[in-house]
Amino acid sequence: MQRNTSSWASEAAAVFAKEWRCEFRTRYALNTLALFAFTTLVVVSFSLGPMGVARSQGTAVLPVLLWIILLFSVAAGLPRAFVQEEETHTATALRLAATPSALFCGKLLYGLTLVFALEALVTPAYLVMTSLEVASPWLLAGVLAAGGYGLAAGSTLVAAMIAQARSKGTLFSVLSFPVLLPLLVLTVELTRGAAAGDPAGVSLPVLLLYDGSVTVAGLMLFPVVWNP
Amino acid sequence: MKTFFAWLLWLWMCLVIVGAFFYAPVVLKGFRTPGSSRIVFFHVPMAWSSFLGFIAAAVWSLAYLNRRNPRHDRAAAVAIKLGLLFGILATVTGAMWAKIEWGAWWNWDPRQTSILAVILFYAAYLALRQSVEEPEKRARLAAAYALLGLVVTPFLFWVVPRITFSLHPDPVVNQSGKVDMDAPNLRVLFASGLGFAGLFFWIHNLQCRLEALAERRAALKE
Repeated sequence: MQRNTSSWASEAAAVFAKEWRCEFRTRYALNTLALFAFTTLVVVSFSLGPMGVARSQGTAVLPVLLWIILLFSVAAGLPRAFVQEEETHTATALRLAATPSALFCGKLLYGLTLVFALEALVTPAYLVMTSLEVASPWLLAGVLAAGGYGLAAGSTLVAAMIAQARSKGTLFSVLSFPVLLPLLVLTVELTRGAAAGDPAGVSLPVLLLYDGSVTVAGLMLFPVVWNP
Repeated sequence: MKTFFAWLLWLWMCLVIVGAFFYAPVVLKGFRTPGSSRIVFFHVPMAWSSFLGFIAAAVWSLAYLNRRNPRHDRAAAVAIKLGLLFGILATVTGAMWAKIEWGAWWNWDPRQTSILAVILFYAAYLALRQSVEEPEKRARLAAAYALLGLVVTPFLFWVVPRITFSLHPDPVVNQSGKVDMDAPNLRVLFASGLGFAGLFFWIHNLQCRLEALAERRAALKE
């Protein structure tokens, strides 16, 4: 069946709009996610102690903790996008209503906005609390954008898988962390580079390549995962 | 025919073991303990068969998604189990060698790190299979995850060596593109690699038949 691009885009936009409308009705994900991220942030920052980390070690240690906080917050919030469809038995209706690839893009866009909101909340607070000085803020912004996209794309695909399995919550962490591990290694290294101000051993294009690969894999695999 | 192949494999592996200890000369350059270089004839083919398993599993997963034949799904799952087995063996033998040569079992060498991450990925594959009961759905989701692995894990092998320091001997196919090994050693290594690949497919065939029988038995009981 030949579908034109405009109807595909409007389907994706409709899925995106539906996600946020559902979200604003309950504000479940938004509130818990924000609170989860903030609590983790406080725990991490408090555990480091009032003196924090010595400046010499700061650029090595602090980026790791930032990305761990982001990773766990994403794991706490993003799977809901698909788990909820299975729990409320709306998945079948959604299968009829939208093309899989459009649905994937809509859900990915929703996840992306959620992750960006999360990063906008967590990162400034983290930098203030741990007094990590960033030498090249633009590189950090680029890493957060590309890394956030990778987190959203990988998690969306894995969320679609685990929504159909038992023991969803724990399974999401087990399945998604190995997928996101290369991303995490890259983002941590790049964030270190941004904090220290010198170019890291890896560069931003590799991160973009990861994002691109996961997106293409997602678009190709999602129809299989989604349609019985 | 199958028994003949199994005996041939046995003979081949015996020759490889004899060759590894009596034919191949000891490499002294770059090794602290003389003789420890012989691990290359077993450790490296183990790692090769592990990757053979993961790549074969991706091929069978793709075949499953195209044809929806349960046989392909079973073949993919068995290949991943064997890939994990060989991967764990390679990690353990590597750790033993690292203790002798480097003085520590584990030191986050790039190769140790990457293979650990790959093992984690495919262990997650088995966790996914266990938590879906419907055979068709299980096969579909597992195949998608196995293919995702082929997209994601290569990044580790590119990234990790660039950000960590390595003591690991150069791989046979190294970045400078030349083989850094003398001819007798190389002969034994490739013979062993061939033997391990044969071992892989032999166990794979046995295990697939075993699981098919177990499934048939379970179906008959119902």
